[in-house]
Amino acid sequence: MAALLELTKVSKAFGGLQCVSDLDLDVGDGEIVSVIGPNGAGKTTLFNLVTGIYRPDAGDIRFDGESIVGLAPHKITNRGVARTFQTLRLFLNMSVKENVMAATYGRTRASLLESMLRLPRARREERRTNAVAAEKLSFFGERLMGYRWNQPAYSLSYANRRRLEIARATATSPRLLLLDEPAAGMNPVETHEITELIAKLRDDGGYAILVIEHDMHVVEGISDRVVALDHGIKIAEGTFDEVATSPRVVEAYLGASATERK
Amino acid sequence: MSDAGDGPRIGADEWVARSGERAEARGGIVGRLRELYERVPKPAVFAFFVAVGALVPLLTAQTDNDIYFLRVGTVALVFALLALGLNVAVGFAGLLDLGYIAYYGIGAYGYAFLSSDKHGVHWGAWLVIPLVVTASALIGLLLALPSRRLVGDYLAIVTLFFGQIFYVIATQGYRISFLGLNKDLGFDRANWDLTGGPNGIANVDRIGAFGLTASSERAYFYITLVAVVVVFAGLTLANRSRTGRAWRALNDDMLAAQAMSMPVNWLKLLAVAVGAAVAALAGTINAALLQGAFPDDYNTQVLIIIYAMVILGGAGSLAGAVLGAVLVSVLMLEGLRPQTPIGDLTGNGRWVFYAAILLVLVATIRPLRRLAAILGGIAVFGVLVHTIVAATTARGTDGLLNTGPETFEEGGPLGWLVRNWLALPGGTYEVGSRTWFNIALVGLIALMLCVTLVKGWVRDALIVPAVWLAGFVWETRLVIEASGPTRLLLLGVMLIVVMVARPQGLLGRPRVEIV
Amino acid sequence: MKALQLVGYFQDFQLTWDYFFDQLVAGLALGSLYGLIAIGYSMVYGILKLLNFAHGEVFMIGSYIGFFVLTWLGGAADPSLPIAIVIGLMFVAAMLGAGLLGVVIERFAYRPLREKRAGRIAPLISALGVSFFLQQLAVICFGSAPKQYDSFSFDAGSLFTSVTIGPFEIQYMQLFVIVTTICLMVALTIFIARTQVGRAMRATSFDLEAASMMGIDVDRVIVVTFLLGSALAGAAGVMNGLIFQNVDGYVGFQVGLIAFTAAVVGGIGSIPGAMLGGLAIGLGRAFSIGYVSSSYQDVIVFAILIAFLLLRPSGLFGTPAPQKV
Repeated sequence: MAALLELTKVSKAFGGLQCVSDLDLDVGDGEIVSVIGPNGAGKTTLFNLVTGIYRPDAGDIRFDGESIVGLAPHKITNRGVARTFQTLRLFLNMSVKENVMAATYGRTRASLLESMLRLPRARREERRTNAVAAEKLSFFGERLMGYRWNQPAYSLSYANRRRLEIARATATSPRLLLLDEPAAGMNPVETHEITELIAKLRDDGGYAILVIEHDMHVVEGISDRVVALDHGIKIAEGTFDEVATSPRVVEAYLGASATERK
Repeated sequence: MSDAGDGPRIGADEWVARSGERAEARGGIVGRLRELYERVPKPAVFAFFVAVGALVPLLTAQTDNDIYFLRVGTVALVFALLALGLNVAVGFAGLLDLGYIAYYGIGAYGYAFLSSDKHGVHWGAWLVIPLVVTASALIGLLLALPSRRLVGDYLAIVTLFFGQIFYVIATQGYRISFLGLNKDLGFDRANWDLTGGPNGIANVDRIGAFGLTASSERAYFYITLVAVVVVFAGLTLANRSRTGRAWRALNDDMLAAQAMSMPVNWLKLLAVAVGAAVAALAGTINAALLQGAFPDDYNTQVLIIIYAMVILGGAGSLAGAVLGAVLVSVLMLEGLRPQTPIGDLTGNGRWVFYAAILLVLVATIRPLRRLAAILGGIAVFGVLVHTIVAATTARGTDGLLNTGPETFEEGGPLGWLVRNWLALPGGTYEVGSRTWFNIALVGLIALMLCVTLVKGWVRDALIVPAVWLAGFVWETRLVIEASGPTRLLLLGVMLIVVMVARPQGLLGRPRVEIV
Repeated sequence: MKALQLVGYFQDFQLTWDYFFDQLVAGLALGSLYGLIAIGYSMVYGILKLLNFAHGEVFMIGSYIGFFVLTWLGGAADPSLPIAIVIGLMFVAAMLGAGLLGVVIERFAYRPLREKRAGRIAPLISALGVSFFLQQLAVICFGSAPKQYDSFSFDAGSLFTSVTIGPFEIQYMQLFVIVTTICLMVALTIFIARTQVGRAMRATSFDLEAASMMGIDVDRVIVVTFLLGSALAGAAGVMNGLIFQNVDGYVGFQVGLIAFTAAVVGGIGSIPGAMLGGLAIGLGRAFSIGYVSSSYQDVIVFAILIAFLLLRPSGLFGTPAPQKV
């Protein structure tokens, strides 16, 4: 069975800096794959390549069997790939609910004219969009419910903003979720919550998930497979235990002398 | 987290924390009114204002200057239409479309081409207006197409250029020659006159369809009012729709919007096109209203005026756009015009000017003791200077109030106050006193800049002479030029001040920006 | 008043080398003017990513300052000091005045917005307001009619007498403009390459945040940038007065647009690029006036701008900046 997402020999360089080099990666349906590696290893670049923000210099990226290289980002999202951002990019001046509703754009068809004339299709879609937003937000329990819906997104706390971004991504009805450091900046309680949440996303939502994470507790808790990158090259792949003990990975994180000491 | 001062702050989860504040704000008269307002369903508020608008002609009919007031109202409504259209690109989508004025002009000239003797075409308005509006939207699409990938600043310049080009074509388009080969191409004249050049196109038809023609001032007021109402309603619905959400999303974060399935480039084109359509509608009405299409109504100065209206009212707020348009149009554009009923009422804007200064002082200076001290200081300062000048040169305080290039008057009791507070040299329009004016103006600007730099009693001390100088500068020159450069000058200042002090304008909501 | 023959007009169209060289030289002189102004745009954009709309008006104020200095010194026909000194004083005064104006504008119209983190559009609108304000201020203070310059005259004739150098016939005025521009460019380049402040400017234009974290006083760098850019615009203003023999409150807007185009063509952020862009646009205008028609020169400039923005947005010398996500 072909994987849902398949990267084959993908390379990307910026000027003299080779960010990603000859990378092979795949993610299967319903799988959770974690990508780890020291800073600058090319992990976010990987996400940007998959979502169409950058175009690979070489190699192919296939989603659901079809190549998505060269497609515009919004088209790739419509195919079923959604992401969150390492630095959080919410629509801060829109309300919580509107953030999520906006993401359903690709799944709705009512034109501007139809909306202005309040034709049946527009009204129907609007009701559906409201329902979808409510559903996606309720995924997080009480945190993003009730009075929060009309709050402007900028007023949410950091952890809630991270959750909102995930909710927003799920509103695009994706098959693959790319989560870029979802636990960054969270305290241990919140981190634990996120770990459970990601598992829930896979189990209840049925999404395949590709996660970039630094927190090894999270990685250990959720991953079916782990891929380690360093300087744009894949240096290990396997289960968490296999990768965590791989000498190349230890060296990449801790330096050569660390492996010698082992 | 950001530290934007009193503005909205990212991540400070204040909704719950502020609920106490909100409860307090509900007390007191302003709070009660606000609560009452929140309860009223918005369509009712809308209907109320529409009713008010519809009643205006009945009110003006009671005055002696019925036609004049109606015209002022219609012009204000045309500007409101323009401000609404500009709000789509600038307010919703955050695109700085500086070529907007060209679509206004295209609407006017398009109407003139198809409803005048210029090219011998006289189609009914029921056909011309939709045609011109659609054409303008398409032109907007075409023009935005090459610029769709440009961000902010580049888009601004390209669109600004386009506005210039339109003006050039409008003013130069009366001697179009295809490299001198017109005769060979079958034109029977050496130069093809398309746009009438600097004189524009005159004798444009009134709006007429199916045998009826709109020819009274009142008819045009209602036509424009209907247009404003329809566009307002349509844009409100658009803002609430998926497209409106997408526009606002792309305004907030273009990259994230793309990642969330929104086709950003198409949305930008759409925003420009919608704005272009509304502007063209305003243009057709304007051409029929003035019975002509004249290039100077569609130049960059008018563009800046429309921008000032939108910014003052609050970019992103449709009601703000209308409010800004009405305020600027009636107070600044009409109120500063000499020898008109409104202009006379405001003494060429003289009284509006002093009222505005007083209003700003009263609204911003607290506590009341300080306010009283400053106002008192201003009065005393003025009288002091007046006395000193009167003692030194006889001519120094001879001047009367200027009401026009050559006319003066005593100005009644208020005028007496002003004349004795300021030191108006006799013959304030003589060339020699221009130097005094220039020096005073530069001094005023320097003082105002300093006022923004210092705090405390130094600031108060500087405000006193600043206000006096403002009065002096106003009386000796600006009030005469009020209908020309002065109002444009004040608009320029307003743009700067609003951006620095209250970027969300009057009715807009404060925004948080990711820089 | 001697009739100004800056460029040969289409009506005098001839297919001769002389005519071609006339346009060429005229284009170079005009282009130097645009280049000087374009440098100011480029420098400010390079550091702040802000299009300083008000820059064209600074140029206009510079030309007025030059005019007033000249009048104060007795006018061109009968100056109270030797001509060289008069012109020198005009330049110094205009450059100082314009530089000061640029600094004031930055301090009061742009810096508060930077400190408030107001986004990208707010400074642009503020810039529009400043531009409008300055333009109308000039009209109110100095009148809307252009003020005429007298012509200088000295032993060898006047500024408009032509001198033959090789195959070129070049007017003194054009020679003066080109030479002065070269001197100013050299001075600026040395300043940026060799001095501490110049290095700081380069660093800040690469990465403002990083520069501030490296201990560079970014606010001061910005002030110096505005000062230098505006001073150059002031110099261009004086040259404009000398070339066209008048000063006019409305000239800033037009020239500002053209100079901006030059900055984009040359690669926004690059100083030599701005000068080259200016020369390119100047030549383009001169040739279009001479060979096509004078009414549509704006359209041609616009076409050049659009072409560059579509095909090569980073201009001739700019470096495309990848966006870090």
